[in-house]
Amino acid sequence: MSIPGLGQIAPQAPTSTQRTITLRPFGEWRFSIPHQHSTFSSNSSAAGVTVRLVSGTAERDGTELAPNSVYTFLPGTKSKLFTDQGCTLEINNTGGYPLEDRVVEYPSPEQSPMLQYINFHFGLQDFERAAAVTAQQQQQHGSIRYQQMKAQPKPGPRVLMCGPRGSGKTSLVKTLAALATRMGSQPLVANLNPTDGLLSLPGTLGAAVFGTLMDIEDPEGGFGVTNTPISGPSAVPVKNPMTFYFGREKVEDDAEMWKQMTERLAGLVSRKFERNRDVRVAGLLVDTPPLEEGWWRGRRGWRVNYVVVLGSAELQRAMGTRLAGEKTSYGEPIAVLGLDKSDGAVEIEKGWRQKSTETAIKEYFFGGIKARLSPFTQSASFDELVVFKAPDEPYEGAPVLERVEPTPEMAHWTLAVMIASVTDSPQTIRFSSILGFIVIADVDVERRRVKFLSPVSGRLGNHPLIWGRWPEPYLNLLA
Amino acid sequence: MKLATMSAAEDAAADVAEDYRQALEDLTVNSRIEIATLTNIARENSQHAMAIAEVLANHIKKVPPPRTLPALYVLDSVVKNVPTPYALYFGPKLYSIFMGAYTKVDNPTRRKMDEMLKTWKEPVPGSTNPKPVFPPEVVKPIENALIAAKNVALQVNQSSFQGQQYMLRGARGPAPPHRETPTPPNVRPATQQPGHQYPPSNGHMPPHGGNGGFPMRPHNGPDVLPPRATTQPPYGGAPYHQPPQAAHQGISIERLRDDIQQLIVAEKAEFVRDPLDVGKQTRLKALLDLQTLIQRPDVPQEQLMLVKEKITELSVNMRGSLPAGGTAGVAPVAAGYTVPPYTATPTPPVIPGAIGAVPPPQVPAGAGQQRPPSAPAVAGSAPVAGAGAGALSLDSLFGQGALAALLAGATRKSATPTPTQTGTPIPPPTVPPPVAAGVPAPAPVPAAAASLAASLPPALAAVLQSRSHTPTTAIPGAAAVVPPAPHLEAAIPKPAASAPPTVPAGAVPPPPAPAPGAANPSALLAMLRQSGLLSGGAAAGGPIIKPEPGTGLLPIIPNPLAGQPGEPSPLPAWAFTLKQYRGPHFINRLHEDLGPPCTQCGRRFGTDDEGRRKKTAHMDWHFRVHQRVTDAERRGQHRSWWVEQSDWVSSVEAIDVDHSHRPDATSAQSKGIPGQDTLNYDDEDNDDDYDPEASFNQSYNSYSGASGADAAGGYGGAKSQGGAGRGKGGKKGPGGTKNYIPVPEDSAKVNNMCPICQERFEMKWLDEAQEWVWMDATKVGGRVYHASCHREVNGTGAGQDGGVKLENGGGSAGGGWGGRKRKAEDDGFSGVNARIKLEY
Repeated sequence: MSIPGLGQIAPQAPTSTQRTITLRPFGEWRFSIPHQHSTFSSNSSAAGVTVRLVSGTAERDGTELAPNSVYTFLPGTKSKLFTDQGCTLEINNTGGYPLEDRVVEYPSPEQSPMLQYINFHFGLQDFERAAAVTAQQQQQHGSIRYQQMKAQPKPGPRVLMCGPRGSGKTSLVKTLAALATRMGSQPLVANLNPTDGLLSLPGTLGAAVFGTLMDIEDPEGGFGVTNTPISGPSAVPVKNPMTFYFGREKVEDDAEMWKQMTERLAGLVSRKFERNRDVRVAGLLVDTPPLEEGWWRGRRGWRVNYVVVLGSAELQRAMGTRLAGEKTSYGEPIAVLGLDKSDGAVEIEKGWRQKSTETAIKEYFFGGIKARLSPFTQSASFDELVVFKAPDEPYEGAPVLERVEPTPEMAHWTLAVMIASVTDSPQTIRFSSILGFIVIADVDVERRRVKFLSPVSGRLGNHPLIWGRWPEPYLNLLA
Repeated sequence: MKLATMSAAEDAAADVAEDYRQALEDLTVNSRIEIATLTNIARENSQHAMAIAEVLANHIKKVPPPRTLPALYVLDSVVKNVPTPYALYFGPKLYSIFMGAYTKVDNPTRRKMDEMLKTWKEPVPGSTNPKPVFPPEVVKPIENALIAAKNVALQVNQSSFQGQQYMLRGARGPAPPHRETPTPPNVRPATQQPGHQYPPSNGHMPPHGGNGGFPMRPHNGPDVLPPRATTQPPYGGAPYHQPPQAAHQGISIERLRDDIQQLIVAEKAEFVRDPLDVGKQTRLKALLDLQTLIQRPDVPQEQLMLVKEKITELSVNMRGSLPAGGTAGVAPVAAGYTVPPYTATPTPPVIPGAIGAVPPPQVPAGAGQQRPPSAPAVAGSAPVAGAGAGALSLDSLFGQGALAALLAGATRKSATPTPTQTGTPIPPPTVPPPVAAGVPAPAPVPAAAASLAASLPPALAAVLQSRSHTPTTAIPGAAAVVPPAPHLEAAIPKPAASAPPTVPAGAVPPPPAPAPGAANPSALLAMLRQSGLLSGGAAAGGPIIKPEPGTGLLPIIPNPLAGQPGEPSPLPAWAFTLKQYRGPHFINRLHEDLGPPCTQCGRRFGTDDEGRRKKTAHMDWHFRVHQRVTDAERRGQHRSWWVEQSDWVSSVEAIDVDHSHRPDATSAQSKGIPGQDTLNYDDEDNDDDYDPEASFNQSYNSYSGASGADAAGGYGGAKSQGGAGRGKGGKKGPGGTKNYIPVPEDSAKVNNMCPICQERFEMKWLDEAQEWVWMDATKVGGRVYHASCHREVNGTGAGQDGGVKLENGGGSAGGGWGGRKRKAEDDGFSGVNARIKLEY
């Protein structure tokens, strides 16, 4: 579909939109499909760039592509398809999207960082998870050792992923989770980086079990909010997130709050481990913000026994020193491992991230290509809504939340609906988990009514709302 | 019900299998009567053929050598007399059964086995069935393996065993030579150990180089690491011609690697069984490192030979000490002995002396005892031979003499090709005496690294690291000439002595290096370098551990030489080999080994019963989802609220179908947050009712089950009844619950009047559902009733059904609507927490 006036896109018009590439083992096809401007969207016949695995095996972040199925990668996807056995891919860009892509191959597997990741996975799988299974069995069979300990058997590996910005932490977490899932494990993934959201909108911290296939087409590769439960069937199994509302972009914006929230989250994860044998054996993968401070302050409660440092020898040394001699509460030493960063890992630019956030919000309410959702527009009086606001600038002794009346500035903000009661203390509300989100469409001060978009119909009842400081409203969803 | 019968059948099979096993235990001699009896039992119980076949196969694997042949004869007899179904069951396993047995029995038995094998290629005598006992594709790989094995043995050992070998071969008739079979004679003169009568065979039957030798896991082409084979050598000038070279020399690295891999697998199994056993851990570590080193392009053939021999012996011993299992295929016979190794090592006692402080490894004494005949022969050629005291893990792995032997070989090797070192094996000036003394223990063979890994992870890893990192700087051979032992000594021992690292995983202390070992590290490195295993690049400059900043050091070890205060972070053994490519087999674990992929989503399912069951459930799930996706979209769907903390904690991933029972449903019953309208729910009930419906539960998040019933007919039924029950209660009781179903698409086909009260249904646009519905209606069977009427009439029936659910919050499936509409009006969110079971 050549579009007049779009210059260089035309030449690679209909005939050349389809091509086939062949990758050698440990090769990668890296691609990036920029976000669309809203004016340009939905014009084209194709929703995105389609890829079909003709032969061999290929995977996106550890999740295998089904042979001969057509996958559509939407605008706003920046990722790679990797093959450890070699493959042929058929790539089709009938929509004429400004796809940027390249093939990367390494002279030998040893030079691909993916090999390290895979080996790391096998290390966890063969030693840690296997040992956890054994421990489990021993406990079940009443082995003396564990009876004496009167404790939970040691869980599977708990891995903390850290590294500089843009070192590929999230991708690696995703990959490790997917690889484990492929082999039948159900690892728990936790995200401590408020800039991303794990199965949630940005500005949140959360955790979820990944026991099922991850969505290859999701721009976020299975970590996107679009993978959370909907009211209908879902072609890719949904995941069940547990999220806290941080409401700020960076840890530094409210470090104390972040710390408390991660501790809460760690507590929930421990409880999950206690309750769920499969998850306990599979272990935990923790994604962190790109902060050295971050790993340290959030670490203890997680009882991690592996700290993976991506692409920074310096950070690794620092951590090795810092963690030397430390033990988890299970008595294990903490291993600090360095893994190479993939040269394909890049820092996400601000503009891109902003668009991605927008997309996430849209997908939360309206769904993606797989399922169209119909949110509900509702209207409520000021009295029916209980809105709390996080203070603009946190300071020592500041209230965690302030009750506010809806104001016109609130328009287009995304508010978190909390699983708590309006009568609860601000503290309780702040640290309860998120029920969902609404977007304020309009605030009519005169009539004291608020119009908002909600995923589920029905009144909000006595669920309080929290108005965070981030992500800021970028778009008018109802326009 | 079906389940019950199934398990009954399983029980019966288990009983039969157990009886059969005991009968087999009693079979000690080659008695035709007993074998005939066993055959008859097998015939009579052919409905449990699978169980019997398995028992028999296991028996053959486990039974001691003298009793192997009778057991095999049972197999032979069963297969010939009851070909269906036994030939089918044995077929796929035949290779491993046969080769496993072949490797452990003595030569006369082998000849008998050869004969038996021959009969398998022919039809059963006197039978009308013209088909051979086993199809050629089953027998052929075995034949190939045997031929190849013998060929190799022949070559290795041509002169002394020629006659015998030819005889052996002759007995089996002419066989097509295998293409990968190495040819050149005179490969190994003098120093070498006797060679192998049958080379070490892992499951793959090495001489094939993976070419069809192993029926279960076919490889295409030679078993060369593909990427390496296809790419330009990344290692600077270092030529990368290992495979051909190896083949030429009679030792294939691939084969060796396979052997090692095999051992690792076996060892891993052991390790997993008892992760706290230091001996196992040590050996595993050693093996892993050995595996790494063996990949080096510049490992001299002599060393490979030596390593191979040790591996061979080790695998024999391993097999001896392991219960039959993964190692069944590990096979090797050290050829010098006419006595089959198995008989030579009946029980695995602990190695005496040699191991020093190393906790009892699993190596049977046989390892040590067997060695003398070969080891001294080799050792004699090197001056450093005798001093094998320092034993690190390598000793535990290979036994005492082995080290000396290996060392000897290594030194010789390094001596010969190196120009500056021509002449004496080890020029005294180059290797100072203390070094020489220390050397034998750690054995500078590749495996030495392994032993080091046990005691000196940081140092060794760093060395390995630097090696693998700067391959281009490697000057194979040349730099090895002048190992600056003193330097090394200065550099290395420190970490060893001052900071004995702890082994993480199981809090297992590493085997402390014995006193003589103090000098070992340096000596070891020297020797390693000398032997060409370590490239001299690192050796030349004193500081070996030189992390290159920026480039990812893997693993980056806190540099012990940098005078860091803290101890280095302890790393598990496997973390040292993260950069090592272990070949396609390893990768296959993520692909083929998991089974074929689902054509729709790529998930893989095993081919065993469990896998098939899962796959069926999975495909059903796909089917149902497809069926309903369009429908759901037409009707409109929305994002669901997320679950509350305690529900999240107790939720269980339901995969494909939630057949999984919630282990602690009671706690799932909402604890709720104060003030919140929480709902009890106990999905136990739903689990049973809804099994097939699992993927649709979410659709009830907002609509009552009625809509599900409409679309999904059968399985929705139970749900809508639940709703009906509630509806009735609602109608009669205060508040009035709304029960509705979407207006049927083709109203003509459905009664639009309640058969009970003869009133029309009330049609209404329901905002929440975004569609036209019939209020207070329920669909039962093909007919629609007023929910309230239906319940009145069928009082107990539907009511009970609904009632039970409702008590448990069964209506919860209805989310904020449907059955729970009344509550929903009080609090639109009430349904939220109820719904944990997700659609997976």
